[in-house]
Amino acid sequence: MGLTIAVGIKWVPNQQAVRFDERTGTLIREGVTSIVNPHDLDAVELALRIRDRYGGKVVALSMSPPSAVKGLEHVIGMGVDEGVLISDRAFAGADTLATSYVISSALRRLGGFDLALFGQETIDSSTAHIPAQVAGWLGLPYLYYATEVELDGSGRKVIVKRMLEDRAEWYELDMPAVLGVAMKSQLPRPVKLSNKLRLREENPIRTWSNAELKLDQRCVGLRGSPTIVAKSTWTPEVPRRRQILEGTPEEAARKLVEALFREGVLR
Amino acid sequence: MSLAQKRKSKRVDCATVCPEWGCRQPGEHEGIWVVGEVEGGAISEPSLQMLTPARMVANKLGTFVEGVLLGGDEGALRAAASEMIKRGADRATVIAGRELSEYAPPAFAGAIAALAAERRPDVILLSATMRGREIAPYVASLLRAGITADCTQFDVDEDSGDLFMIRPPFAAIMLAYIKTPTRRPQIATARPNVFPVPPRDEARDGPVEVRPASSYVRAPPGMRLLRSEALRRDEVPLEKAEYVVAGGRGVGTKEGFAALEELARTLGGVVAGSRRAVDLGLVPHERQVGQTGKSVRPKLYIAVGISGAAQHVMGIREAGTVVAINIDRDAPIFRSADYGIVADWRDVIPALIREISARRTSPGKGT
Repeated sequence: MGLTIAVGIKWVPNQQAVRFDERTGTLIREGVTSIVNPHDLDAVELALRIRDRYGGKVVALSMSPPSAVKGLEHVIGMGVDEGVLISDRAFAGADTLATSYVISSALRRLGGFDLALFGQETIDSSTAHIPAQVAGWLGLPYLYYATEVELDGSGRKVIVKRMLEDRAEWYELDMPAVLGVAMKSQLPRPVKLSNKLRLREENPIRTWSNAELKLDQRCVGLRGSPTIVAKSTWTPEVPRRRQILEGTPEEAARKLVEALFREGVLR
Repeated sequence: MSLAQKRKSKRVDCATVCPEWGCRQPGEHEGIWVVGEVEGGAISEPSLQMLTPARMVANKLGTFVEGVLLGGDEGALRAAASEMIKRGADRATVIAGRELSEYAPPAFAGAIAALAAERRPDVILLSATMRGREIAPYVASLLRAGITADCTQFDVDEDSGDLFMIRPPFAAIMLAYIKTPTRRPQIATARPNVFPVPPRDEARDGPVEVRPASSYVRAPPGMRLLRSEALRRDEVPLEKAEYVVAGGRGVGTKEGFAALEELARTLGGVVAGSRRAVDLGLVPHERQVGQTGKSVRPKLYIAVGISGAAQHVMGIREAGTVVAINIDRDAPIFRSADYGIVADWRDVIPALIREISARRTSPGKGT
């Protein structure tokens, strides 16, 4: 039998390539490529390790435009067994509540899973909302900042280690459970050609649109999103003195230290 | 029409709302909640910080601020409640009992949601601590409510009485004013240190209501804490440091960061990094300063080899004196600094260490 481990991945703009138009304050989108959210690869790696140790399969889900199929192909190259692209124009413009609603509906449609793993947050919005929201929709136990997962003797519970800033904690969770996997906690394995070949031979990626999920249009996408951006403004600047200390590095350092002592910043 | 009247009279067309999510008029909701976190028997500083925007918003809307506290130790929670009242809350509700004596996210978040379903607050604010980030989104999905993470400001929409939850989107230089016009409560978090702790007013008093956890934790959470191990921490946490020396891509290497460490030691402070430095593996994530890391409020912040992207500068808005050291005279960081030194940090850092040490060994010199 083995476990069914679902893992959520997001197709995000590659931050290294993102530039802003300094005049308008908007994103320059031309030429920006997309990647799998790097923190999701920690979740993929942890899912693969659990599968390799206990048996079962890993199913990656991504709610994205059709181009995100490349992200699913990437994680299948890493060893993920199946991919589900959740894609429909009706899902576009969703905030985290509407997104998590669609993802949890897709998880239900999967017909049972033992663990759902997500990257702790995404590099494009960093809200860390989705894992807890999905757990909320499904009414499941959940934990953030997970670093290690083991099955207990019964095979129906998991022991999860997680790292907080000042302590490590071990929790026991009934399955199914939802986990946010700590950022940079795993070393994601590279893509293997033999895995990639499965893409041609087995067709492991399904696409679900709203024809399959059958969600009310008022619950998804922009219409289902409670949050809206009402307006935007320039970030007000904090007034700073902007005083450049001229001279050689030694002279500038002396001027700075003098000023800091004079102002009581240093004692 | 007053803002309070506008807020009360606002109508939502329930036919447009997801039928599975329920629909209530915004005017049926009242009050600004701050969920307080109790750690080691005392109210946490980040929770108290959230009273600052809560008070401001409540005053504008003409409503009250309520502290909400959960846990197993009723005595400690009562003390925390009274501290919240002295610092700006008008009243507090404590949910106490065995069911909440150990932290399990679904139990804590579920209890907050159950209390909110009963009381219908207009706004729920939480600090985006590690626990706050874990709990807040679960509360939002149980209540089928909108949530905005990591706000840097709050305000009130004068036209509708909706809460403006203000944050920079996607590392951008613009600020987005986000609101949830059709759903309540309006839920938001802000990172620790973005707001100051309000002053304590001994004269403030208000009612504290204690409710049993058994009424609000309706099902077992399906999880339990097995054990916990304190990690040895030699350094002061970044949020509490008075002196922060932060490095960016311009510092570039582990050796470079060793030099920053030495300066930090001389100052009695800690080393931090920009997002780039974290991406390069030079600093751990818990030492990242910026919108996706931490906000800091030290007396002195020294940015070394940091270009000064908006997302970084967002994290030092509350810093006392900001010093920038960068070889590029045009680096945007100089616009956000009090003092700038245009030079190679390799020359400046040793000179700074020498100067500071010299002054400390002969205190009269040069003053």
